[in-house]
Amino acid sequence: MARALFLKPIKGAGGDLPSIMGFVRNADEIDHYALHDTDLTPYAALMLPAHLDQRYFGTLTERVSDWLDAGGTLVFNGHVAWPMLPEFQPFMALEKRSLENLQIHRITDHPVFDGVDMKDLTYRRGVAGFYARGCNPPPAGAVPLLGVGPAHVPCDWVYDRPQGGRIFMHAGNDLWMYAGDKTTAHRIVPQLMDWALGAAA
Amino acid sequence: MTNRIAALDAGTYYHHRSLYEDRYRGFFDRIVYAPELTQSALDDIDVLIVSCRTDPAVLVPQGEAIRSLLGQGKTVVAMGSTGAQQWLPAVQWTDLPTNFWWWKEGGTLGLEVQSPDHALFGHIGLEDATWHYHGQYAPPQGAQSLIGVTGEGSVFYEDRVTTPGCMLVTALDPMYHHGSYFMPATTRFLDGFLPYLKETHRLA
Repeated sequence: MARALFLKPIKGAGGDLPSIMGFVRNADEIDHYALHDTDLTPYAALMLPAHLDQRYFGTLTERVSDWLDAGGTLVFNGHVAWPMLPEFQPFMALEKRSLENLQIHRITDHPVFDGVDMKDLTYRRGVAGFYARGCNPPPAGAVPLLGVGPAHVPCDWVYDRPQGGRIFMHAGNDLWMYAGDKTTAHRIVPQLMDWALGAAA
Repeated sequence: MTNRIAALDAGTYYHHRSLYEDRYRGFFDRIVYAPELTQSALDDIDVLIVSCRTDPAVLVPQGEAIRSLLGQGKTVVAMGSTGAQQWLPAVQWTDLPTNFWWWKEGGTLGLEVQSPDHALFGHIGLEDATWHYHGQYAPPQGAQSLIGVTGEGSVFYEDRVTTPGCMLVTALDPMYHHGSYFMPATTRFLDGFLPYLKETHRLA
């Protein structure tokens, strides 16, 4: 059975970064700084948290690219700030973060967001803006999945690399923050796992 | 005479925005990648800022280097979610459930300025420090709580008694939220706190 690898950032940050391990099967979790010592070959998916030390991850570009070439699926959360992978471009923030500009729109149907009401991503307890405030610009050939604001700025996209492997990009907080959510957003975590581990491919 | 400030960068996107972008870049005489702290010369630095949410696993092995700054009469700022109790002396911390939603529920966060005469409050007001906190400190005898929860613990205190230096210890995590383009109070906090550290803060 394919497995996913999660990175655990910032120990001792209080209870606001609960572990995902209680919500997912077929997954392991390691300290983020243990990644360079970890054999990625048993893993079908690598799940990167928004609190990632991007300078550290950027030292592993070659290993991660080789693992992607062999068919891995990389899920990235957060804003791209440091050089990491050639497919990544620095985050571009929305210039105006008005209510209209923070609406989340579906651009392309995708199994990860199947059955998820975009209103449940735009609003959290009636407040807009938690989901995304800009995008990590997609490479040519990527498929935009969700967009923010009237211009549908592609905050979520997926890219099938010509060399092999897939990159799933979300320019916001960890998607697994929606684990066990009371809205349709709760569908994201199991659907993301199924997709990343190949069941929906 | 201004203080020379070094800030730790833990490689996160929000530290990148908070430290390297133009808005605050001029306040930092040095930016040090947190895992490389001990290799860095801090002899000419007056104030070290341990940026919020730097992994304590990175800081604990470098605790001696941080504490030696205090021994030299320098200032260490420990921001929120850095596990300061693991690498600074006399820090007592209690994790608490975080109320992110007090402002939607018609309540308050219960914060108050507890040392109104402190020079910090020439630079920020209580509203600039009000978003949420992830726990509280019990400052040691002789330390001064700057901002606290009425009848409870402190979320920002100054300790000039435990070491020859000065510790500014806070539960607040402004760089994370400013760096996420989120919560304008966190930007206002940095707009005031960094000039305070640079121009007004009195070294021990």
